[in-house]
Amino acid sequence: MKPGRRDVLVLIVLALYAAPFFWQALTSLRPDSELLPLTHLWPSRLTLAHFDVVFRQSLMPRAIVNSLGVALISTALAVGLGTLAAYALARLPVPGRSVILLGMIAATAFPQIATVSPLYLLMRGLGLRDTWLALILANGSFALPLVIWLLAGFVREIPHALEEAAAVDGADRVATLRWVVLPLVAPGMASAALLAFLFSWNEFLFAYTFTATEASRTVPVALALFPGVFEVPWGDIAAASLLASLPPIFIVVAFQRYLVRGLLAGAHRE
Amino acid sequence: MRRSRLRAAVALLALPALLAPILSGCGERAGGAPVTLVFKHAKILGPADPVPGLLRRFEAQHPGVRVQSEALTWSSDEQHQFYVINLEGDSPPFDVMMLDVVWVPEFARAGWILDLTPYVSPAERDAHFASAIAPATQDGKLWALPWFMNVGVLYYRRDLLARYGFAPPQTFEALAEQVARIRAGERDPKLDGYLWQGKQYEGGMVNVLEALWANGTRLLDDSGRPFPEPERARESLAFLRGLIEKGVSPPWVTAADEELTRRPFGDGRAIFLRNWPYALDLFELPDSRVRGKVGVAPLPRLAHGPVGAGSTGGAHLAVSARTRHAELAVELARFLTSDDAQRAMTAGAALRPSRPRLYEDPELVARDPSLPALLGLMEKGHPRPITPYYLMLSTTVQPEFSAVLVGRKSPERAIRDATVQVDHLLRAIASP
Amino acid sequence: MMRAARSMAREAADRRLGWLLVSPALVVLGGLTVYPALWVLWLSLQYRIPVFSISRWAGFEQFRFLLVDPRFWNAAWVTLVFTVGSVALECALGLAVALGLRGQHRGRRLALGLLLLAWALPSVVTAKMFEWLYHPSGGLVNFLLGGRTVNWLGDPGLALPALIVADVWRSTPFVALLCYARLLTISPDLYEAAQVDGAAGVQAFTRITWPLVRPILLVALLFRTLDALRAFDIMFVLTGGGPAGATETLTVYAYRALFQTLQIGFGSAIGVVVFALVMLVAVGYLRLISRESEAA
Repeated sequence: MKPGRRDVLVLIVLALYAAPFFWQALTSLRPDSELLPLTHLWPSRLTLAHFDVVFRQSLMPRAIVNSLGVALISTALAVGLGTLAAYALARLPVPGRSVILLGMIAATAFPQIATVSPLYLLMRGLGLRDTWLALILANGSFALPLVIWLLAGFVREIPHALEEAAAVDGADRVATLRWVVLPLVAPGMASAALLAFLFSWNEFLFAYTFTATEASRTVPVALALFPGVFEVPWGDIAAASLLASLPPIFIVVAFQRYLVRGLLAGAHRE
Repeated sequence: MRRSRLRAAVALLALPALLAPILSGCGERAGGAPVTLVFKHAKILGPADPVPGLLRRFEAQHPGVRVQSEALTWSSDEQHQFYVINLEGDSPPFDVMMLDVVWVPEFARAGWILDLTPYVSPAERDAHFASAIAPATQDGKLWALPWFMNVGVLYYRRDLLARYGFAPPQTFEALAEQVARIRAGERDPKLDGYLWQGKQYEGGMVNVLEALWANGTRLLDDSGRPFPEPERARESLAFLRGLIEKGVSPPWVTAADEELTRRPFGDGRAIFLRNWPYALDLFELPDSRVRGKVGVAPLPRLAHGPVGAGSTGGAHLAVSARTRHAELAVELARFLTSDDAQRAMTAGAALRPSRPRLYEDPELVARDPSLPALLGLMEKGHPRPITPYYLMLSTTVQPEFSAVLVGRKSPERAIRDATVQVDHLLRAIASP
Repeated sequence: MMRAARSMAREAADRRLGWLLVSPALVVLGGLTVYPALWVLWLSLQYRIPVFSISRWAGFEQFRFLLVDPRFWNAAWVTLVFTVGSVALECALGLAVALGLRGQHRGRRLALGLLLLAWALPSVVTAKMFEWLYHPSGGLVNFLLGGRTVNWLGDPGLALPALIVADVWRSTPFVALLCYARLLTISPDLYEAAQVDGAAGVQAFTRITWPLVRPILLVALLFRTLDALRAFDIMFVLTGGGPAGATETLTVYAYRALFQTLQIGFGSAIGVVVFALVMLVAVGYLRLISRESEAA
């Protein structure tokens, strides 16, 4: 098969792979009367009614604000604390650092279902139920080890020679960190930040458990609890799903290279 | 020096003055400023919603008081989860709440609701059904006031039964026979036989309990041990599964709740339906396809049990233990459960009162002739096990019952497995 | 002498700086992972029902109960079937997709984008999406099957496979990406040389591709197994563990015990079991991987 044609075929196959998503997008534009039962693939007309319901009558807009706030702050904290810690563990003679690093890696494998009960009691005890802070902390529990793990690897990739040259030029550790290491590891930080943001945005278990009202409900929870009085509003849910998917889609489209780098880096840190 | 200190002092004094309105903004104020009571309740089904009118009447009677009505989600399980999450915290944002009757002992034991005994006279208590007051009583104290009452009933198509000369069935055997004869006669493949709620949720639990009671057994004995007559329980479960296997009920009942079964019956596509009284109001709407064709009967019995073993249910009104306006909140609860209010609710919505006297009230009976018959059914009904641990119990055994209904487990095994888990639960709960 | 002293001083300064940089992260993680990990062990040894203020020592009683708890064993079985089924399919499909992608010249970014879309979506979105696809009367699946009303999520025999399909759909891209990246590093010269030697197609795969892809596939296997064991979102939202426990994994059972029946102690015990399982699998796999890389 000619290479060009093969390429197109592969793209078609992959488009079909992503078809469930496109179907959901179509569902969000399909009028209510044509949802159940399904008689035709293409609706007779497209409607924005579902999006209208989602924006005007549902709790999704507030949930989006919550999710954005929580995810951005979680990511900032994770990358901020994580980069510094990663540098220290990768380069500085911290006593017990291999154990600590191993512990970080192990922490990424901790099942959320096991830590959710003590965290629930903790949040309850601290009165943090239904607050952004509870979710930020909970997200930190998996975002921070992930960031440290990834960045430790990225830092190690920086040749010693560069840091030594800086030292020879009279720079101390902090200056080296600031002016030599950070700029070099910035792409890695971007990858880590994207992954941290994505995981925070998508996070469900902790959010479902620690939130109670729209004051802190994030998008996945709002979607899972999408209200339907008698029947399930499939069209509205589809529209809400699309909105919930916007940041992940944006990341995949705009930052694909960084995303891929982050994923591959994690896999190679064995 | 002195000026800056003076400025600091002024700032320090000004601070509480600035914060005070914010801090006490939600607090109680004597006279003057309006008090807001928050009333949390589920959407009232039926042709009209009488609650807003009642609340405005209350506000008129109590100047300076505003009642803010807040809706709960539709599903009972979600409502319960919402309450638990909010009542566990320190300051639940509501004063009066509508509770499913089975939650009252649990909420009372957890210390979340106010003891209403000092506010309610014995005469007031006796004005309600005994089977509505009993579940709301724990340790000799009254914790909630009955708001409306429910009982499981059998709906049947009067026209179809009359056509074949049948009276409403007294036994489930008779029901199955009638279904077979009518379907053979009608020759309509889309006509379902007996619709009931078999989904894995509290409603499904109710259906199973009714089948247990219809066979003369129950879930817990008096000392709280599960399945006192396992053989009869097995028969009940096997019977329910048999309904599906023999085609008396369509297989989708195992995923059906009240609304999913009411609609097909209301569209004329089923002969029998087990549901709550609210459905009748919807069947008698002007544009209903089954208007005038629906009869209400007590639930049939199985081999060892009585006729009419429907589950009682309904909603109660309770006051949050941490409300800042205890007197007013109790007033609101008493107002909404009063004779007048229940009369308004019965007239306007698909609700049945918790006061027996109203079932024979001439004005109400004129609007709804089924009330006197319903009174008898209410009085024959069973409450679900009255224990603070009811919901824990229910969510533990529901999967086992559901497994029987979908054909995943045999009734014997389900009962055995359920017993093991209930024993463990009881062990965890038992005080040392 | 002076140089040694200076380098020692520098090392001490480095150590201090290191501690300074690491401690915030350590404190946060200590509080959010280590402390809860120990706490959940403690909780699993208690009867704890906060709603009723029940809090007393249970010892290993709850674990002993799990040994005879029919719901636990059902959940364990479901978890096993789900994990093995999902991971096997993901790896096979992922490799296939990667092989298909390998020769891609044009539109690589688009291809990867379409693929990664499935992976990046929130699991709740995926769950709702498949719930709609599987709908008996409104779902696309039944429509494409010619209008049959199969109750995918309501039939106890079909629900678990349906769930596995949904999970495979969203996780395959990860495996595919890993394999694809590795495949790109295999020099085409190797294949040319093999062709010269007369080895083609299948043999080229088994002799060249497979040995080089195998290590990364093993890593993907590790990640995916751990994720499948811990999976919660998708089955919770798609089926809630139903019908009648046909899709109730250990995680869903633990969640129900914790937040539906409010048995914090018992739910923690199940969580501890999941924890132990995950750690065992992780250690086992890592040993396997390190042995592989030693042999290589």
